[in-house]
This record gives sequence, C-alpha cells and structure tokens, in this order.
Amino acid sequence: MESASVPLPGGAGGHAADTHQHDHHGPPEANQSSRIDRQTLGILLFIISEVMLFGAFFASYFFLRVVVNPPSWPPHPFELPVAVAGMNTAILVSSSFTIHYALEGIRKGNKQAMKLGLAVTWLLGLTFLFVQINEYVHIGFSARTEAFGSIFYSLTGLHGAHVFAGLMLLTFATIRAFRGHFDKDAEKHLGVEVPGIYWHFVDIMWIIVFFTVYIL
Amino acid sequence: MRYNEAAVFKWVLIFAVAVGSAIALTLLTSGLVGALYALVLAIIGSWYGIRWSREWWRNARDRPGGPDHKA
Repeated sequence: MESASVPLPGGAGGHAADTHQHDHHGPPEANQSSRIDRQTLGILLFIISEVMLFGAFFASYFFLRVVVNPPSWPPHPFELPVAVAGMNTAILVSSSFTIHYALEGIRKGNKQAMKLGLAVTWLLGLTFLFVQINEYVHIGFSARTEAFGSIFYSLTGLHGAHVFAGLMLLTFATIRAFRGHFDKDAEKHLGVEVPGIYWHFVDIMWIIVFFTVYIL
Repeated sequence: MRYNEAAVFKWVLIFAVAVGSAIALTLLTSGLVGALYALVLAIIGSWYGIRWSREWWRNARDRPGGPDHKA
C-alpha cells in the first residue's frame, strides 16, 4: 500500500526498492490513511447519497399523502396488490440471507458456498424484478393516473432501478466467482463484499418502501 | 463498529424486525397508529445514529494525525 520506501544502510534495500519501482507500472499507489479500505468506503458514501435520494422521494410521497390529504388513498377504484408485494418482500429479504451465506462461505474459504449463494441471490433478484414488472402490467393504473400514480411508480420504479443495478453488480460478481477470482482473504473477495453491501441497502430500502406504499 | 457486509446484514435484520413490528401493529390497529409507531422508531434510530457519529468523530480526532491526538 505504501508508496514511499526507505533505503537500508549499505544500499541493498535501496537497490531492491529501485528494482521494485522500475517493475511498477501505472500511477503510484494512493496513500491510505483510513482504517477502512477505499472500495468499502466508496460504497458506503454512495449509499449515504442514495439514502438522501430516497429521502426526497419519501418526502414527496408524504407531502401528497398527508399535506394534500386526498379523500381516499389509493384513490377509488384502484387497489394495490399487497399480497403480491408481500411475497416479493419475502423474496428480497431471502436474497439478503443468501448473499450473506455467500460471503460467510468465502470468508471460510468455501468457494462452492459462495458460488451457490451468489447464484441463488441473482435468481431471487431477477424473480423480484420479474414480479414487479408483472405487477406494473396488471395493476390497472399508470404513472399519469393522478399524483398517486406518479409517486407510486416513482418510488417503486426508483427502487426497481436500484435492484437492476444491484443485479448487474451481482452478475459480474457471479461470473468472477465461477472463474475463480475470489479467495478467503478479505482484500481478495471485495468484489463480492461491495455488491453484498449494496444488495443489503437495496433490501432495507424495499422494506421501508413496502411498508410506506403498500401497508400504511 | 466494523464496516463490512456482516455489519450491514445485521442492519437488514434490525430493519426487518422493526418494520415487521410496524406492519403487524398497522394491520392490527390502523394506519395512523402504525405510522406513529414507525415515526417513534425512526426518531430512536436517528438518535442512535447521531450518538454513534459523535463517538466516531471523537475517536477520529484522537487517532494519530488527528487534531486531539497526544503523542
């Protein structure tokens, strides 16, 4: 990690350092002062920005729901498919367990568990998206159906876009896992750890979206 | 606090239990009661988060290179 090198007395260390520097290609390694590795820090900062984005959408939702205060929510005659969304919630929460299983597997050096966990997580994520698209097709209103339709599609669609992004990350992680790219050491499975953290965030956001949109 | 997937997974479980209880309360009573309960949970969560971030900054200032670090 450290880019600076201290030559040893007698010049032997200095020579070794020179050789090392000549072998190094590309820009020098950035100095890392934080106790957290930069990939994990990056995804955490990204998640903080995403929380603010979702916060703006939730603020719009509650503004429409509480301040505008329509006579009925959802407006008559529309109904939200709570049972289907509940099943979808169960699918997404299950996928958090499977990605955790994958990470626990690779932490213990069990690559088969990691591959299985990633593949199942990917399938569960795809199922969630498929069910949500199916729900959009059959729900009976569009994003142009009053403010209710707009905010419903905005919130669930924003989350769906995040599931899609997470699914892309999981696709790369799964392909790399089957190619044998990851190992037991923490720095050698960051390619699964970072998508795993993002996937958990997507899961937490859905739990809140489900409660807010479908239950309240 | 650790910053890895296992720590975030713990938060998934905390959110699932908290929101699960809010859903149960909403279905048993009314939307207003559920919303108020969820608001209380959100306030408790925010208070916990603020306390944690203050502690984090205090530790960060005491670290080598930090403004309050004593060699």
